[in-house]
Amino acid sequence: MRVSEIHAPSSLAEVLEQRRRLPEAAFYAGGTELLREQAGRFLRLPPEIISLGAVPELRQVALTERFVEIGAAVTLAEILELRENAVPELLAVALRGVATPAIRNLATLGGNLATRSRFMDSWPALACLDALAEFRDASGSHWVNVNRIADAEGLPAPPAGALLSRVRIPLERWDAIAIRKVGLRDYPAAETAVFALAARAEKGILSEFRLAFAGERSLRLREVEARILGRRLPLNAKERRSFSGDYREAASSLPPGLKQQFGTLVDGALDLLSR
Amino acid sequence: MTIHFILNGEDVSMNATSADRLVDLLRERFGLHGAQADCRRGTCGKCLVLMDGRLAPSCLLPAFKARGREIVTYEGFAQTDEYADIAAGFAEAGVECCGFCDKGKILAAAAVVERSSRPTKEEILAEMAEVPCRCTDPETLVRGVQAAAERREGRRYRRASQ
Amino acid sequence: MAPRGEAAAGPDPGAAGLQARELILGDLSQPGMVHVATIRSPTACGRLVSVKAPTLPKGYRLILPADIPGENRIVSFGAELPVLAAERVTYVGEPVALLAGPDLATLGDLAESTRVLVEEEEGTFSWKSFASEQVVAKRVAVIGDPELAFSIADKVLEGEYDSGALEHLYSEPQGALAAFDYDKMAIWCATQWPYHVRDCVALVLGGAGEDVVVRPTRLGFHLDGKLWYPSLLACHAALAALLCKKPARILLSREEDFRCTTKRARSSVSLRTGLDATGRLTALDFRISLNVGAFGPLAEEMLSQACVAATGAYSCPNVRIEGYAVTTNTPPLGAFAGLGAAPSFFALESEAARLASAAGQDPVSWKSRNVLRKGSSLVTGDPLKEEPPYEEIAGRLGKASDFGRKWACYELVRKRRAGRDDGPLRGIGFAFAYQGAGAFLSGGAPNSYSVEATLDKELRLSLKTSAAACSGTMIDLWRRSASDLLGLPLEEVSVAPPDTDLSPNSGPVTLSRGLTVVNKLVERACQAIQKRRFRDPLPISAKAVYRIAKPLHWENGRIEGSIFETAAWGGAVVEVELDPWTLEPKPLGLWLCADGGRIVAPSRARAALRSGAATALSASMRESLEFAADGAIGAEYYRYGILPPGELPPIHVEILEADRRAPAKGLGELPNDTVPAAFMAAVAQAAGANFQSLPVGPEALADWEET
Repeated sequence: MRVSEIHAPSSLAEVLEQRRRLPEAAFYAGGTELLREQAGRFLRLPPEIISLGAVPELRQVALTERFVEIGAAVTLAEILELRENAVPELLAVALRGVATPAIRNLATLGGNLATRSRFMDSWPALACLDALAEFRDASGSHWVNVNRIADAEGLPAPPAGALLSRVRIPLERWDAIAIRKVGLRDYPAAETAVFALAARAEKGILSEFRLAFAGERSLRLREVEARILGRRLPLNAKERRSFSGDYREAASSLPPGLKQQFGTLVDGALDLLSR
Repeated sequence: MTIHFILNGEDVSMNATSADRLVDLLRERFGLHGAQADCRRGTCGKCLVLMDGRLAPSCLLPAFKARGREIVTYEGFAQTDEYADIAAGFAEAGVECCGFCDKGKILAAAAVVERSSRPTKEEILAEMAEVPCRCTDPETLVRGVQAAAERREGRRYRRASQ
Repeated sequence: MAPRGEAAAGPDPGAAGLQARELILGDLSQPGMVHVATIRSPTACGRLVSVKAPTLPKGYRLILPADIPGENRIVSFGAELPVLAAERVTYVGEPVALLAGPDLATLGDLAESTRVLVEEEEGTFSWKSFASEQVVAKRVAVIGDPELAFSIADKVLEGEYDSGALEHLYSEPQGALAAFDYDKMAIWCATQWPYHVRDCVALVLGGAGEDVVVRPTRLGFHLDGKLWYPSLLACHAALAALLCKKPARILLSREEDFRCTTKRARSSVSLRTGLDATGRLTALDFRISLNVGAFGPLAEEMLSQACVAATGAYSCPNVRIEGYAVTTNTPPLGAFAGLGAAPSFFALESEAARLASAAGQDPVSWKSRNVLRKGSSLVTGDPLKEEPPYEEIAGRLGKASDFGRKWACYELVRKRRAGRDDGPLRGIGFAFAYQGAGAFLSGGAPNSYSVEATLDKELRLSLKTSAAACSGTMIDLWRRSASDLLGLPLEEVSVAPPDTDLSPNSGPVTLSRGLTVVNKLVERACQAIQKRRFRDPLPISAKAVYRIAKPLHWENGRIEGSIFETAAWGGAVVEVELDPWTLEPKPLGLWLCADGGRIVAPSRARAALRSGAATALSASMRESLEFAADGAIGAEYYRYGILPPGELPPIHVEILEADRRAPAKGLGELPNDTVPAAFMAAVAQAAGANFQSLPVGPEALADWEET
């Protein structure tokens, strides 16, 4: 049996101070990620734990006309209970796909977004929404576009050692959104991935088109998106075929099962634009 | 470490380590067997408790997470009017469980009727994904939760009109 | 001493009416109790060299085969397996030793540092083609002249259908508590068959059956996963209790249970079908192989059930059936909601749907033309004595689901489809089946069961049966039957706990035997009391005994014996749509129709059929167990998700009304026998492709799309 030291700071300043003293300590918010590989009788947590449950700054939600800011320790259930239009529908649909209601009562947005082992359900939606994440460490606060949490290989790379403190999500109008989860739904397995789409049209011309896909790796192809933008809707059969081919080709880095499914999903998205 | 919290309405404290899960402490230290430690992964719904009024799998709660919180177990919930509504609603609809998942289903039903006075089939079944036991016919379960919600509304209305 | 294990406070609506408000095994403990951990084989096959535990603190003990005072084996339906592997190991996870001690955390650490050394040999995992030494049971039956019939058939087609291993996900992981109660060894465990536990423990302890008493704890939902396995764990707990001279409890974690206990046997059915020019079945040839894992504890019975069900709901004059139960170095595989008939129904129904489709016919019309009728010859050569109501079942299902119109319409869309986005990807499928009357078909099954009833001086009736009920429904049903027959108020009828010292052996609870056998015995015991009631002084006791008909005898291609006098007949329709984005099959509706004879509690029968349908649909859509290269259960427990209730379609159930005097029949397995084939036929129509096994996941469909 392994026993860890638990630290329970009560302010953000204290969190950062403790982190400075204990650079190896693990942050504990909802705990669902830390506990997900543990089915034994006794828990085996990292030797030093900084529990974030009592840090008020991480529990705040601020709403303006143009964006919503959500503290990293706000739970997924609390986000889903915010009043209508306070959270983009794309994110809400993605979060409803996470595990079960009781797990969503524990799991936090920060935990969901800053997991290092893989991408979870919120990333594709937040990437499509061009959300910003604030990371804090001893040197101060850094805002990072959520798309940048993925490195060049498409692997998760949140800033090392820093604490994700809040997420700022633009509130915009979207004409078409879609979230589809593939693979094992209730548990983030190797074949689990989430597909997100957000599109907007002005006078029959596609003015925004964003498509993100992530599981163990992420995929967002800005150059293909740029080619699709500005097209007149509905797309014709030739355009549809061509973009489908672009996406399928770019997806060659994905494992075979996910590659096929990504292709199928892209076709679903292009079908939507061709009608 | 010593952890103080409120358990079924009473101030309590316990000694625990970071290796202890709340579900085991409830069972072994407090003799509360309503929560069972089955999957230990938060997926079977047999260890559900209410933490600060919200459903939580107590197997995914290390002891320190209970500090300063209010925990209500099935045993505590069984003393409430809300419980009586659900038990009566389930009985009225003829909900039958295997005798293992019923406590989780009752707590999940409580979460549904707390949120919605006239829950839809979809809402109910989404919440019931919490307790994925093969034993219960979903249709009867939906009727049971709806009957419980009606009873609860009826009781509130009667109270208001008194 | 009685164990501690207070039931949770407050009423318990789910358990209403359960026998003696039984205790839950996981809640039971005794003062001074030791916990038992299992030391398991790390390899699938080889010679066991040594088990080395670290230095054990006081109060801890390692238990090896040499410590077993009686015999190191348990017997199940004629098969045998060791309580602890002694010289050879046969699967990853096989128990080789036990560690017992008072503190769980210490025990866990000790078990983790115990080393098992095995001289590894190559395991055997192939089972569709196999070596003769792997065969633990074989059946051959020939009816008519199949070879001649094939040679003159207008069309001959071939198909192969596989059914994978499934996890039961019963209500509670397996375990047992053992403690001396004066001069007896008392066992508490959740079992479908208390007397089997008793006899196994007695054999292992070297005592007589009477030296052991089994006090069943709450059984819950089991899907036939608790037929014989609890007996093994009871032996482990009893050994620890005997050797440590303390109460002992073994409780598997869910994860351990998932990896090491028994699962559904894998099955593969290859079949050849001969048709005449009008599309009528003239010849059938089956080759069934059943992978029963290590030891094959239910192999004889399951293979008999699978072979007898091979011809399914159909009548065919020329049949050849060849079946093999094959052992491999995976955990023991066996029963799942029935003892082996479901994969046979799945195979023939799926093939029939394909034949109908190939002939351009509506599957209901095709199937209805070929179904069993009164006088049709069964696999034993005997004529069927009653008229199966298949026509009415097909009619009711057709009307409720609008099958004919939908099938024709989806067929048209399928044929004209230009591409994936051209019209909805929908399909609808149909399947027939029957459920026999709960008889065991192999010689390995025990031979007589009984139920006792006593009417006391206060006119209270007590029923005694060792049959463990998994819900209040069954107990209620027995009480109702007794109260009806004797004209007693329901509250005056009670059912004693299924304790082996208090209740006679009523056999295992499986194949709906609670209804087909135990309820019949309850009725017969009550009839005996009724006869003597006004002649003899009270109290009056009566015992009704059920003797198993002679097991089927398979010799020279002939089967002698009777498979059933009556059966519950049923059918199912499933409608699906493939999600246009992910191609995942989404069920739109499920319709079931059953003729279960006299229905004692209609709303409960409907509820049971609906929850059975949900289980069958979940197994068809989601569930499959993977095995690693070393035969171990390859996946993690968390990967085994069942279909969430929110994704179930509306389930419509029709029950054909029967005469009040008709016998009550078991219905519980009908969903499992019909839904998988109906689901697969629906997916095949939606996708315009044929599949061989379930689940047909989005990956398989993506494969299909690419090709």
